[in-house]
Amino acid sequence: MAEIHFHPRGLAIEVRGLRVTLGDTAVLRGVDFHVPKGQIVALIGPNGSGKTTLLRCLLGLQRPDAGQVRLLGEEVGPAVLKRIGYVPQRLPFDRSFILSVREFLSLRLRETRGWFWQRHRSTDAHLRAALAEVGVDHLFDRPIAGLSGGQLQRVLIAFSLLGKPELLLLDEPTAGVDTPGEQDFYGLITEVHRRHKLTVVLVSHDLSMVYRHAARVYALNGIICCEGTPEEVMNADSLKQAYGIHVTPYHHEHGPGHHHVH
Amino acid sequence: MFTEAYMQRALLTALLLAPLCGLLGVFVTARRMAFFSDTISHAALAGIAVGFWLGFTDPTLPMIAVSLGVAMFMLWLREKTDLLNDTIMALLLSGSVAFGIVVLSLLKGYRGELHRYLFGDILSVGPQEVAIAVVVTAIVGTVVFARLNALALLTAHEDLAHVSGISVRGLNYAFVLVLTVVVALSIRLLGIILVTSLLVIPPATARNLANNLRQQLILAIIVGALGGAGGVALSFQFDLPCGPSIVLTCLGLFLITLVGSALRKSRRRNLSPI
Repeated sequence: MAEIHFHPRGLAIEVRGLRVTLGDTAVLRGVDFHVPKGQIVALIGPNGSGKTTLLRCLLGLQRPDAGQVRLLGEEVGPAVLKRIGYVPQRLPFDRSFILSVREFLSLRLRETRGWFWQRHRSTDAHLRAALAEVGVDHLFDRPIAGLSGGQLQRVLIAFSLLGKPELLLLDEPTAGVDTPGEQDFYGLITEVHRRHKLTVVLVSHDLSMVYRHAARVYALNGIICCEGTPEEVMNADSLKQAYGIHVTPYHHEHGPGHHHVH
Repeated sequence: MFTEAYMQRALLTALLLAPLCGLLGVFVTARRMAFFSDTISHAALAGIAVGFWLGFTDPTLPMIAVSLGVAMFMLWLREKTDLLNDTIMALLLSGSVAFGIVVLSLLKGYRGELHRYLFGDILSVGPQEVAIAVVVTAIVGTVVFARLNALALLTAHEDLAHVSGISVRGLNYAFVLVLTVVVALSIRLLGIILVTSLLVIPPATARNLANNLRQQLILAIIVGALGGAGGVALSFQFDLPCGPSIVLTCLGLFLITLVGSALRKSRRRNLSPI
């Protein structure tokens, strides 16, 4: 993809000396990295590399034992979280809960929070537009629990964008999405990134999927063991550090540029 | 039919607490907390026993206190240990029941009480219980509707709620507090064994008919009211235990709506072009 840089000054994410020990395991052992504003970047690491813990630290859900996390130049807290969009992998509630897409989106905005008592055409139009932007306005009245993985992801992105975030964090964005869906997803993320001029962080275990779309890749394995352009990180030596196994670039039938970890 | 004062009290209490359970139940079932509420209700048995032991004639207060204690202990164990949720709940449920029965057995003359609390007893609804039910329904209803958005978002995804500025821990504890008080009060009508059904059946019935959360909440309240009132009426008419009558009425409504929604779905399927 074409690299687009907005607001080259300032950092979207600034992490210094971050340490977290869970039980007896030192999950994060001094993580240092900076994400400049305005890029699409990927944070990759195998299972158990501390991705989830790092993401929880970024969202203020996990208190670090040592180190510092700053988002958009501020300490993590309720004030800065308002400027952040978070797209989780899935919603864990039972199917017996029939929250509709419209109701779910209404929870994000102050002016639509009266969804139980009233229904305003103007706010409905606003919510529909948010769905239309991610290409799923036909799901407006559908229950969330019945959506496919790809549909839910789009609804979650629409939910985040309603808060006008400056930084969008996506947790395993293509887990549960098939390969054509993956291509659509990257088209969507690129478009959202361009239109909203925000920083996008893709957190994933799968290097092949972020390879073509991230301007910068950070490989995590307890520490940031390598970072750089995707080409630099794909260098087998440094990836071997991250994944602890031998890695060879592998070319897919559907086109060059896809690399898998073997 | 409802000419006697005690009948009116029972009916009024059912019309307050059953819809309230239906409302809370939508979130209880969505968050898979049915077993949690079952544990709370069984903990009330230990509370009743402790109450009689300490010489209370009305064990409502110790019942609520012990249930709350057990609920908070459950949350604490969940946060601080690696024990599975199911294990924690099974431990506390069986422990509370065993403790309650042992204490009641040691106290002479209270064995008869056990039956009333296990299956519910409308005769035990005094003016004081009605007053408490009115106050609790007013407060809980107001709080739930005031925090409906936060509660819905919390149910959808806790981390998303946190990022959206909701105090997740505070709201979780508040929800458990409210649930415990409502469950403990509803034991008068439903009994310890069956009280959870009032949190589960009305939302499930509502789900058969509703297309969104708003409809589900409204219908769960209506089904709770119909089940509560219908059950109390059946209980008077045929001299049946109150709890099972309410549960069977709710179940009847569930089955009717289940058939209705199945028919509606199959009709829609037949109408749609192949």
